[in-house]
Amino acid sequence: MIEKGKISALQMAMLTNPTILATAILSAPAITAKLAEHDMWLSPVWASLAGIAAVYLAWGLNKLYPAESIIDISVRIAGRAAGKLLGFVYLFFYLHVNGIIVREYGEFVVGSFLTKTPLGIVIASIVAVSAFAVYGGVEVLGRCAQIMVPVVVLLFIVIIILLFPDLNPENMLPFMEKGIKSSFMGALVPQGWFSEYFVMTFLLPLVADRAKAPKWGVISAMSVMFILVIGNITTLMLFGDITGTLTYPVLIAARYISLADFFEHVESIVMAIWVTGMFIKISVFYYILALGTAQWLKLSDFRPLVLPLGLCLASFGVWAAPNSEKLLHDLGTTIPFYLSAVQVVIPLLLLLIALLKQKLRRQNGG
Amino acid sequence: MKGLLAGQGFRYVLLCFVAAASLPLAGCWNRTEVNDLALVTGAAIDLAEGKMIELSVQVFIPRTGGGQQAMGGGGGGGGGGAGGGAQTLVRSGRGATIAEAMSKLQEKFPRKLFWGHTDVFIIGESLAKQGIRDQVDFLMRFPQTRERAAMFVSEGEAKKTLGFHPPLERSSAEVLREMSKSRLSMDVDLKKLAQMLSGGAGAAALPWVEMLPPEKGQMTKQSIPYVYGVGVFKKDRLVGQLDDIMTRGVLWVRDEIVKETVITITPQGTEGYVSFNLESSTTNVVPEIRDNKWSVTINIETNENLIQNATRLDVMSMKVNDSLERQLEEEIRHRVEEACSHAKEMGTDIFDFADDFHRKYPKQWNSVKAHWEDKFASLEINVATRVKIRRPGSTTSTGANRPQDEVEKP
Repeated sequence: MIEKGKISALQMAMLTNPTILATAILSAPAITAKLAEHDMWLSPVWASLAGIAAVYLAWGLNKLYPAESIIDISVRIAGRAAGKLLGFVYLFFYLHVNGIIVREYGEFVVGSFLTKTPLGIVIASIVAVSAFAVYGGVEVLGRCAQIMVPVVVLLFIVIIILLFPDLNPENMLPFMEKGIKSSFMGALVPQGWFSEYFVMTFLLPLVADRAKAPKWGVISAMSVMFILVIGNITTLMLFGDITGTLTYPVLIAARYISLADFFEHVESIVMAIWVTGMFIKISVFYYILALGTAQWLKLSDFRPLVLPLGLCLASFGVWAAPNSEKLLHDLGTTIPFYLSAVQVVIPLLLLLIALLKQKLRRQNGG
Repeated sequence: MKGLLAGQGFRYVLLCFVAAASLPLAGCWNRTEVNDLALVTGAAIDLAEGKMIELSVQVFIPRTGGGQQAMGGGGGGGGGGAGGGAQTLVRSGRGATIAEAMSKLQEKFPRKLFWGHTDVFIIGESLAKQGIRDQVDFLMRFPQTRERAAMFVSEGEAKKTLGFHPPLERSSAEVLREMSKSRLSMDVDLKKLAQMLSGGAGAAALPWVEMLPPEKGQMTKQSIPYVYGVGVFKKDRLVGQLDDIMTRGVLWVRDEIVKETVITITPQGTEGYVSFNLESSTTNVVPEIRDNKWSVTINIETNENLIQNATRLDVMSMKVNDSLERQLEEEIRHRVEEACSHAKEMGTDIFDFADDFHRKYPKQWNSVKAHWEDKFASLEINVATRVKIRRPGSTTSTGANRPQDEVEKP
């Protein structure tokens, strides 16, 4: 195996948690509010089904080929030529998606905090930091997540508690005004994010206590869903009908905090949440990209790939979209389907083919 | 492969990088220090020459901040306070939009304008009459302005309110902010205004600012703006005004009435007045649609404390107490009804009954959404009040101001 490190199932859950949550937490309230209005808090519940599906797809494929990731599995199932092609699709997909993620990070930091810093510098610095973590391998990533994720979740809860005096529960009514449909529509975008749980296909071969992996995967998806629901309820109670018009409702919510006239301007907490969460997210995708490329090319080590891929990544970040509006538009329209097509639909087909093959082989053998 | 990153050469390169990284680490080359910033305490938005936007800002002058604010510096200390010690200055710029006006304004300042501490925005009367939606768009969009900034609409030109040098507070913006916090009128911040402007009721209200004429013997500029009632907006245009008493009625309906609100009645069957202080109050608005007839019932439950008895009544008697409670209920109902009928006349649902209907009857609401204004005009409003007088203050009976035999015993 290329990666010699091992992580625990708990570490895997902690790695995947911010991998989904980091981008979702800032933009989820606005995007779901546009379609689901007052029922926006229900949308993450439906969307998490895609996450659980992705967890079980990764698990199902891993049970058939315990030591391999989707890159090798696709060769086994679809044959050499088609499998390699599929592997390339996955590698390109993760490069592209990570480019988008890096860009989202850059847009937020430049748009809201470092307004005078060039986007390229912001993108290059987060990629450089991630490169160091990726270079350390999966164990380093696992430990980073173990330290950072509890802090991120705690800070998020602090923000919510500080907002309590300004919340107006009546904003949640009327419940299901347009039936259950609108909350489903609101789930279309978050389901794309949840489908990113398929990254577990790369992590599962590295998990030491593999039997616990599906349990922790589902717990991780549930925790993301829970935090998104809380975040959506809070922004809905605070902003009501204007939630959908804000770019980053959680940021504005944090800025709205004012306790006893002096406890104000705490939006930097959101910055801390976002930067730490995004660091893990970008690192996980980056690591997968490097590891997957090494697997695809049958190299003995992924480390030499880290720096060149980082350069690609930063470039893809700059190329991802011409401007912030286009990026947000894409994130709300095509990208969710792009995500779930590659991470749920293709693996599902592969798994079905594999199971079918297995059945045929047994029939022929017996 | 391994040699590239672990070799000797790489270590030297790395060392160079680390050494170079220490240079920009202090971040000095792109710094903005406090003495390069002009802190905007309040901003006024007016209409100039019919269609231009005039943006005026009140900027805190840090030099004179400490010393001049000594106790009584203005009046008692020889009257020298106002002359040399203005703590704020006002400048304005014009443009087709606020954003343009802002850049024009920046040209008149040697320091960079900083909007993160702007607590107050005042909109001038003439601009308010033309519509404020486009201005609010900028305030919500501009990253530096804060959603908790208090919003006002002023009589006449808003710029004037910024020019005062209040004797008691640091700046007139601070005066308005404190007044907004005390919530004697409505307390509307930028977020609430945005919600009102996009809400189903199609109406908004902002606290109305007037200028207090200066006391005799004081400099003309040593006055303050003060809040008197609310300005009422239909869609986003100023259409009318409610005075202080009427505003209380609105606050009662919106459940925003606060402690310390004094209410005075003239009890029946005797001469003089009795004043009460509000202890707590809750309002519950119940919308109802019956046989296609829309109505709301406003249930107000209030606890009052007696603070002055200027009559001969024995307020300790349960009978008097009871009758006072009934009369208070009547008084509050009267105020609320008056506020409601005024709002109806203006055709503005500033109580946000629209949302109450939306929440309880979403289907019916959607069918009248487009012409809610007509529906509001024909809306039946019932007011049910329930008052309890809790305690008589530090003295009992009629108080310590009258011989006992002059007290009217029921």
